[in-house]
Amino acid sequence: MKVDVEALDTFNQLAREGAEEATRSLAQMTGINGSVDVTKISLVDRGDIGEQLGDKAHVGVQFGFEGALAGDTALIFEEDQTAEIVEALMPGAAADESMAQSAIQEIGNIMMSGFIDGWAEYLGATINHTPPGYIEGSGEELLPKSDTVKGHDQVFVFRSDINWEGEPVKFFIYMLPEYEPMAELMAELGTEADNAIPIEKLAVFNQMTRDGTKKAAANVQQMSGIETEAEVSQISFTPLVDVPKQFGEDTYVGTAVEFTGAPSGFLIVLFDEQSAITVAEALMPVEMDSDELTDQHKMAIEELGNIMTSGFVDGWANVLQQSVEHTPPRLVHDMGRAIIDPLAAQLGQHQQHAFVIDSKMKTDEVEFESEIHALPNEKELREALEGLDVTRVEETEANTEEIF
Amino acid sequence: MAEVLIADDSEFMRNLLREILEENHTIVGEVENGVEAVEVFKEKKPDLVMMDIVMPIRDGIEATDEIKNTAPDANVIMCTSVGQEEKMKEAVKAGADGYITKPFQKPSVMEAIQDVVPS
Repeated sequence: MKVDVEALDTFNQLAREGAEEATRSLAQMTGINGSVDVTKISLVDRGDIGEQLGDKAHVGVQFGFEGALAGDTALIFEEDQTAEIVEALMPGAAADESMAQSAIQEIGNIMMSGFIDGWAEYLGATINHTPPGYIEGSGEELLPKSDTVKGHDQVFVFRSDINWEGEPVKFFIYMLPEYEPMAELMAELGTEADNAIPIEKLAVFNQMTRDGTKKAAANVQQMSGIETEAEVSQISFTPLVDVPKQFGEDTYVGTAVEFTGAPSGFLIVLFDEQSAITVAEALMPVEMDSDELTDQHKMAIEELGNIMTSGFVDGWANVLQQSVEHTPPRLVHDMGRAIIDPLAAQLGQHQQHAFVIDSKMKTDEVEFESEIHALPNEKELREALEGLDVTRVEETEANTEEIF
Repeated sequence: MAEVLIADDSEFMRNLLREILEENHTIVGEVENGVEAVEVFKEKKPDLVMMDIVMPIRDGIEATDEIKNTAPDANVIMCTSVGQEEKMKEAVKAGADGYITKPFQKPSVMEAIQDVVPS
């Protein structure tokens, strides 16, 4: 199977239009105005599906679908918001648990029918879906993981985030297509051979990214003593304009570097402010008096970002048997969107869409979470993957003693 | 006591290296780019340069190349976060005598120095 960039673009558009249709349905039913924030297609390890839901309790509606495309789809709300949504649809129903569940099912049914119908219409074929099933739980356990993704370690996930205007909450639409029908459709929609990436190579690249994250996590642990684990790695395809939106309005501290080679692009290491303080203090030999982020904290973060960046990209370079150069790290301290915006704009001079590589590491020991994001030049990434020898995937470490 | 020049654009890393080294070595200078590294090397002629690779203005490999052209007996250990095989080969070509990847612990730094500048 090959992943065709044109086909991905079409899928992305369909997912966005479907999510917009679902959002219109929600507004008609409840008066709740939403707007589609981000739509992206990710290749993720099956165990990582839905990780961004975190540990929060969610409820939602799930369907199976089959026909021109088969799989599962789900609409997810935060549990805390359920009462408000139900009340908007049917005043007084929130107090009755069974009625509230039924209302959620109906909202999901109507919203998701619009979502699926858009796909069927585009494909000129029928897609049937099962009756809606009410789901509840926390985080990623909520989403279907079994039959849909059987037989493949990495799977495609379509995700749309919908903002509830005026409220700090989101809805999520997930679509988890079955592998074979998805592969057939992708081949059908593909246009030029130049745009295609063999799925196996993309999966290997994802594996390399995971290894790079593990290495970066090991570097954090070695420097700070904080036991750190690589959590998630995924590669997503998204319109470039959607990239900054994914980083939200929370404030981050970290580093940004521009890398050149095959491929070129940007790499950003981010910490939330509390994590930055925690890890910087663990790096420094003396205890700091300040609870605020000081210049000394920032200096430590700058160097940690530098070392994490190298840990992350060195594996690519060694497997690809090329060197990946990067600029010295530039300290960034701003809202997520504001950090990414100028970098995405620079990439936007050459491309409309981006492959975004996202990794996350955390620890339960102390308040610490860090993210690594890479924004490679799309064309150069495709070329690099074409030349990737998948048998070298384990060759991420250089042997210093052999060379010196 | 060997005289050591530290070249790293990170103040944090220069401090860390100084703390590791000053017990047994004399730090003759700390610089933050490859141009300054070459200048201070020519002026102080240290026994050893601990050289970062990724630095602004001029990187550590170019600086090593120039130092080695000026003084072929100079000792340079690349002390870098870059763990790429191709980069290591470039460093060897430029004349680097050793290579330590960050993050490092004191024993690995001392061992690398002992290999290059035996006490």
